[in-house]
Amino acid sequence: MKSSILRAGVIALACALGLSACGGGSGDLYLSGAVVGVTKDGLVLQNNGGDDTAVVAPYTSFQFGNRVSTDDQFNITVKSVPSNVATKDDCTVNNGKARANYYTIAQISVTCTIRKRALTATINNLTTSGLVLINGSDKQTIPARTTTWPMAPVNQDGAYGVTVLTQPTGQTCTVSGGSSGNGSGIMGETEATTVTVTCNP
Amino acid sequence: MKFPLARPALALAITLTLASCGGGGKATFPINVMVSGLQYPGLVLSTNGQDLTIDPPATPGAVVTAVFPNQLEYGQTYEVVPKGATVVNHAATGGAQPKHQNCSSTLFPPYGTAGQLAKIDIRFVCSILAYPLTGKVVGLTGTGLVLANGSTAATVGVDPNLDANKNPQDVPLAMNAVPYNTTYGVTVLTQPTGQTCTVTGGANGTGGGTMDDAAEKHGSVDNLVVTCVASS
Repeated sequence: MKSSILRAGVIALACALGLSACGGGSGDLYLSGAVVGVTKDGLVLQNNGGDDTAVVAPYTSFQFGNRVSTDDQFNITVKSVPSNVATKDDCTVNNGKARANYYTIAQISVTCTIRKRALTATINNLTTSGLVLINGSDKQTIPARTTTWPMAPVNQDGAYGVTVLTQPTGQTCTVSGGSSGNGSGIMGETEATTVTVTCNP
Repeated sequence: MKFPLARPALALAITLTLASCGGGGKATFPINVMVSGLQYPGLVLSTNGQDLTIDPPATPGAVVTAVFPNQLEYGQTYEVVPKGATVVNHAATGGAQPKHQNCSSTLFPPYGTAGQLAKIDIRFVCSILAYPLTGKVVGLTGTGLVLANGSTAATVGVDPNLDANKNPQDVPLAMNAVPYNTTYGVTVLTQPTGQTCTVTGGANGTGGGTMDDAAEKHGSVDNLVVTCVASS
């Protein structure tokens, strides 16, 4: 009886040692996942408060340097965000906290929401109706005598290009301004960008 | 002997239990359907000789739920496809799709055997069809031209030889595909080195328009022309 208890104890100890040996951050599972909504450098992720990992071009995935072992607790958090994301809360880690196994490590993703900036059209000399301005798929019908009109907000660092889809009755309007001068550009860090629409009789 | 009614009662209980399984002791399985993203009429789903017309929801964006008129019996196989679709290895193409849309069931298998799962739950997801927005760049002599359609920017690639010998050349142009009933307006985001480019073509002649029925019938908008001349 005594020897069997001893044997069981030795095996248990060996098991415990064996398990603990696997838990030191150099296991066999890569902690990785998909990234959505990131367009530039700046997103840094952490696991359990360390192992800083920067998300780099093409900004579609991440992988931590340290591997983890089965049953290790992982907890992925956002340390810093790109400059076109307002706060850390705008980057969400999905399924970022769990014990590691082949299933849980395949469910992780990070989604960031890029800050949007106002895009405004200043309109000169519009006396008639019928003017339709577009910025790609954003379509705005402008009433007669309008002097300023908000277009749909645009992602910071994203492109925009305002053009006239339909001219107003009896007038011809052209678009200028924006960072390229012809109504298009890249949305900057200022709160508002204005393009100018000038209409001639 | 003490319970003379026990045996008949048991028999009655068994009969009742069987009857509760659905219509005289035979289990049947309704074919439930959920369709999301549907905006236009025309979708007809079909399986086991039955058709089910799916109309767009009254509330835009809502999920449409429907049930095929007849239930299946245990062991009957089913495969729900748009009516008349060509099916190869359970992959359906064509058939009675809604106007301007394509519905598919790639996430969940739309086929199986009744009784295999507790509930037959068919899911279709519909998306708006998108059509190419293409054209050409005329007279380009160098790199740097970036065009934008709203938030999608496209850099016009230039052959290194063209860039080296500055011999003006037509370069094909392809912007992102545009969904049906969505506007497009192509502008010059960045001018190429030493040149100024202007956009013409599209439905309104200045690089703008709507991916409308005419464009859908044509299959694309392919008449964009970006003309580049030396900057003065």
